Amino acid sequence: MANRALDDLVVVEFAQMVSGPMCGKMFADMGAEVIKLEPVGAGDEMRAHPPFPGDIPHPEKSGSFLYLNTSKKSITLDPSTPAGAEVFRKLIVGADVLIENHQPGHLDRIGLGYEALNALNPRLILTSITPFGQTGPYRDWKGTDLIEFAMSLTGYNTPTMIDDPERENPLRAPGHQAEMMGATAAAAATMFAIFHREATGLGQWIDAPCWQAVASTSKIEMAALTYAGVPFSRMRGNVATGLEPLPCKDGYVYTLWAADSHYKALKTLLHNPPDFESEVFDLLVGRQANDDVLRPMIRHELLKYDTEYLVSEGQRLGLTIGPVFTVAQAANHPHLRARNAFVEIDHPVAGRFEYPRSLVQMTATPPTSTRAPLLGEHNAEILGRLGYSLDEQQGMRAAGVI
Amino acid sequence: MALPLEGIRVADFSWIINGPQIAQWLATMGAEVIKIESQVYIDIGRINPAGMADRTPGPNRNGFYHALNYGKKAITLNLATDKGRELADDIIRKSDFVLECFPIPAANKLGITYDRIRAVKPDIIMISVSLLGKTGLEPAGWVGWGPMACSFVGMFDAQGYPGGPPRQTGGTWPDYAIASAVTFHVLAALRHRNRTGEGQWIDASMGETVIGQMPEWYMDYFMNGRDRRQRGNRDDVMAPHNTYPCAGDDKWIAIAVRTNSEWEALCRVMGDPDWTRDPKFADQYSRLRHSDELDAHLARWTRKYEHIALAHQLQQAGVAAGPVLDSVELHEDPHLWEWGFFRKIDHHEVGERILPNMPVHMSNLPELNYSMPPDLGQHNREIFGGLLGLSDAEIKILMEQKIIY
Repeated sequence: MANRALDDLVVVEFAQMVSGPMCGKMFADMGAEVIKLEPVGAGDEMRAHPPFPGDIPHPEKSGSFLYLNTSKKSITLDPSTPAGAEVFRKLIVGADVLIENHQPGHLDRIGLGYEALNALNPRLILTSITPFGQTGPYRDWKGTDLIEFAMSLTGYNTPTMIDDPERENPLRAPGHQAEMMGATAAAAATMFAIFHREATGLGQWIDAPCWQAVASTSKIEMAALTYAGVPFSRMRGNVATGLEPLPCKDGYVYTLWAADSHYKALKTLLHNPPDFESEVFDLLVGRQANDDVLRPMIRHELLKYDTEYLVSEGQRLGLTIGPVFTVAQAANHPHLRARNAFVEIDHPVAGRFEYPRSLVQMTATPPTSTRAPLLGEHNAEILGRLGYSLDEQQGMRAAGVI
Repeated sequence: MALPLEGIRVADFSWIINGPQIAQWLATMGAEVIKIESQVYIDIGRINPAGMADRTPGPNRNGFYHALNYGKKAITLNLATDKGRELADDIIRKSDFVLECFPIPAANKLGITYDRIRAVKPDIIMISVSLLGKTGLEPAGWVGWGPMACSFVGMFDAQGYPGGPPRQTGGTWPDYAIASAVTFHVLAALRHRNRTGEGQWIDASMGETVIGQMPEWYMDYFMNGRDRRQRGNRDDVMAPHNTYPCAGDDKWIAIAVRTNSEWEALCRVMGDPDWTRDPKFADQYSRLRHSDELDAHLARWTRKYEHIALAHQLQQAGVAAGPVLDSVELHEDPHLWEWGFFRKIDHHEVGERILPNMPVHMSNLPELNYSMPPDLGQHNREIFGGLLGLSDAEIKILMEQKIIY
């Protein structure tokens, strides 16, 4: 394909699981050559994570791995061995970006820290994605998606609208959302660094922590404290962001009535029940102050109608209202189908399945995915390009370097 | 040394959260973001009671707006008027990006559609952020805000407690959560334009971004026809893996154990109680299978301890743990301050306040553009006079006519 926005970039990905690989996938799907370094033997840990077709574990069949590693090349490499470190250094000399998600200090310990890499290639952009960042007292803390998400204010507020704090413990968001936030912030920052390099010829080191990235998704809740002086509460009745899916006759709808015009539309949709006539509800301030009265009334009225009526008529009236679907319902929805939100990708071992197509749609340079690589599939191609003979490659294989 | 996007201009028609969060990336990295507002349809961030400084209303006093709009310039322009739309086109002609999050009917009325904008500025990069995309079937025309996209694509169903009703993810997900992903593609589009001269339209569906960020659910469905629904805090591999109650009112700690050595470290911190020697908890797979029982044991132990102190103790022993922080604790957190997550500002209307910075550090850039969040219409004279070349007299008339308004 001709129009690939990043097809001149070489990205080395020394990363496992979600955050680093997601960042690498974004570059790969935009046309960069992404060379993924996997541990010799089992490869990226994600290869052992479900889902698997038929629930039968297989290192080439993990759905999470296959999605997070589309469009990449895979080599197996142990950079903590001298020969492995040499391959690593040769890759770095020709690379534009190195994405890694090891504990802070790990690269230094194996002699491949930023200073060493910068001496090899001053144009290199090193993108380090970690739980807590490269500095500060939690730098060496162990983090996982659950920990990062739970510590962010968003984690305290998930799910929203708590009735019984004893029974409703804080949940992480489905999947690995804190890691996704770190990955996407790192990808954006890396692109800014590429612009900087195009202007100055110089690379840099990006410190992209997942916790800070996901904490940035609670700006209203922070402002409630630092501006309005109100400690944010996760309990039902908080006025900052207290919203929730609401039951109707045959399922759930999601709606809100922050804008005055939306509240008016909601009243019309519910056929103007007499209780709603009070003027105190006409302005946002009044609706928030009297949420404990208004919300139960709205919940009660919604139960009289089905999703189809509420959504189609509500939208006609200009109300922000939509259905609450399960993943299976969404995956089959004609609208997402009409937009080609999913793409079929064939894989020689795992088989042919649909995948989420892309994070955004673009007219000139659309992100495009090809299948994830087999473990070490590109060893010969990449090592050959770096000047290793077949004999040398054989020796490295025997020694467990690749 | 310049910031990476110096010389790039953004005509920003977006408001509330998702568009502003994208524009904030561009602004802090050096782009001139002209935020086009109007008193006719004021940004909810400026008026939402949740963020009003000292609970006193005023368009320039709101922390909701301040946290999302530092680094930008703000003008007021009434797009409901012909002249207002003409002036908007004049700004677009001098811009690299147009950013908008209007629903389709409003976008059509205001002429903020790619076909029309492209006629005004052929190499424009237009960024549309919407609930479910701007093409396709009926839902493309829906009005809504971010969380409705999560509802539509199954995230809120998956957010519920196992067997319970759908629940909402915090942080008005995905309004902020899509911003970095969109920004990455916006920059790729800019690079493409710089290399080829070709602009394009980025049609960002919040729903599709969320789908791309929950592959476990979608891949399980596509591979196995399984609707995963709700998993609570259960992981596919780790156990224990949950939030546990601590001493005090509504205090919690998150603990995640991946390896046997981490499990042994946790047992040591607990003082090796008898229950931990039950064969049910002997290996990772068995711990995962007996998660409910394991969680009940752990909760009885964590309840006795203060959440922040216990997290420190567990981390010291090599166990991944973290306190669930409320808003007061988050703002007192020593790591966030030392890392540089927060910044103190001294604002002319609201005085000293704390705002969150961008969540990355870059070793080789000058300080990012953290200029003060703009007052409503603060840059009218600079943009209409300086950029568009209108005289003071012309600007005065446009103000009287409620066009610059």
